[in-house]
Amino acid sequence: MSLDYVKFTPGFDKWMPKEYRDMVEHGPFGKKTTVSQVGSFKEILEEHPMCAGCAMTLFIRLAIIAFPNPEDTITVGTAGCGRLAISQAAIPFVYGNYGDQNGVASGLSRGLRLRFGDRPKDVVVLAGDGGMADIGFAQTLHSWFRKEKFTTIMLDNEVYGNTGGQESGMTNKGQVLKMAPLGKKFEKMDMLGMAKIAGCAYVATVVPNNPRRVESVIKKAVLIAREVGPTYIQAYTSCNIEYAIPTDKVLEDCKEVEDDRYKFTEYLTDEAKETLSGLYGYKEYLPKPVPAITKN
Amino acid sequence: MYLVANISVDICAATSCKLCTQFCPEANTILYNDEAGKEKGLRYGSAYVSVDRCKGCAQCVWVCDNMAKHNAIKMEMIDLIGDQALTENIHYGEKSTTATLANPFPG
Ligand SMILES: Cc1ncc(C[n+]2csc(CCOP(=O)(O)OP(=O)(O)O)c2C)c(N)n1
Ligand code: SF4
Ligand code: SF4
Ligand code: SF4
Repeated sequence: MSLDYVKFTPGFDKWMPKEYRDMVEHGPFGKKTTVSQVGSFKEILEEHPMCAGCAMTLFIRLAIIAFPNPEDTITVGTAGCGRLAISQAAIPFVYGNYGDQNGVASGLSRGLRLRFGDRPKDVVVLAGDGGMADIGFAQTLHSWFRKEKFTTIMLDNEVYGNTGGQESGMTNKGQVLKMAPLGKKFEKMDMLGMAKIAGCAYVATVVPNNPRRVESVIKKAVLIAREVGPTYIQAYTSCNIEYAIPTDKVLEDCKEVEDDRYKFTEYLTDEAKETLSGLYGYKEYLPKPVPAITKN
Repeated sequence: MYLVANISVDICAATSCKLCTQFCPEANTILYNDEAGKEKGLRYGSAYVSVDRCKGCAQCVWVCDNMAKHNAIKMEMIDLIGDQALTENIHYGEKSTTATLANPFPG
């Protein structure tokens, strides 16, 4: 993996599909592209079979645009809707067994550090709430307790979307779903609190109706994971199928949920702040100057 | 037949908001042509939809109507829409793209 990773074999460029040629010539590899430039460069996410208007799709699209070094990034995922899109991007995608993603990512990021110690390789897990907080719960928490240096992103649609509407630990109490007809009996799990207790260096919540904010949290999480330790982003990515949200109301729902229970929160350890403050563009994390003591 | 998004160059090129593409769930679908509309004296260039990638969710319509407040996007039947941008006819430049329009639904 390197900047050379997507290039033409000499003499073959004219035989490659148009999408591939556009990506090599006008894609974001080796450049600093931002969300505000979308529509003018070729994105590395391709067509995929996720549902029309799915907020998870929008979030994945924005997250991939926001990776600080897409040419040096590997995504890890698992069963669930998100992998249908994540696997269709021009960066390597590793598919763990359902719930194994943080275990797979641990081995991967350690191996990459051994092999490419001198150059950053970013490992980013993107998985559903069921895969992360229920079936992969132990592996997720243990990777955090072990301080594995990679980013974990929960695509929280508050349901098992891919299998037709079972409740997950992240579903809200009382919620009725197709396969939870009596309503969920217990509270939504506090994964954010657990991430902090388990030692994550950066923890944030975000909704996809603020693309610049999605970009900002993804960049910070990946950069901090590179240097400091585990980072966790919990993104509200509604399932318009299981929650019966008309597709043209998905962003309205995002806003309502953001105001109600998914407000933007960001937590950084002191070490994470120090690391960010040393990077270009993150001067707001410099320690505040101590006010001079004035004698009365 | 099915609906796809259609952007009015006349309305879009009179502003420079570039909001809808940030909210379209599909990648490489709403693109910008900085030159569109200039022949009519409109300054800002226009967004356009690569209709072969559009899934018809109408989120961009919501964004243009409610966030940008420009009402430039309408959902239209793909076989009645006339010549449109398609992925195979899009050319990427340094900072902008252009599309040679073609019938998205011949026959
Ligand atoms: C070990 C195992 N158990 C069960 C499944 C079936 N399965 C596939 S996707 C899925 C649910 C996914 O839900 P979630 O992780 O919340 O992701 P979403 O589809 O909602 O994005 C399940 C149970 C599986 N693939 N492997
Ligand atoms: S089932 Fe739900 S989460 Fe899955 S792709 Fe469809 S809308 Fe998105
Ligand atoms: S939101 Fe509307 S006015 Fe703004 S760029 Fe898109 S189509 Fe044009
Ligand atoms: S209708 Fe949906 S998929 Fe089509 S351009 Fe608009 S936001 Fe994108």
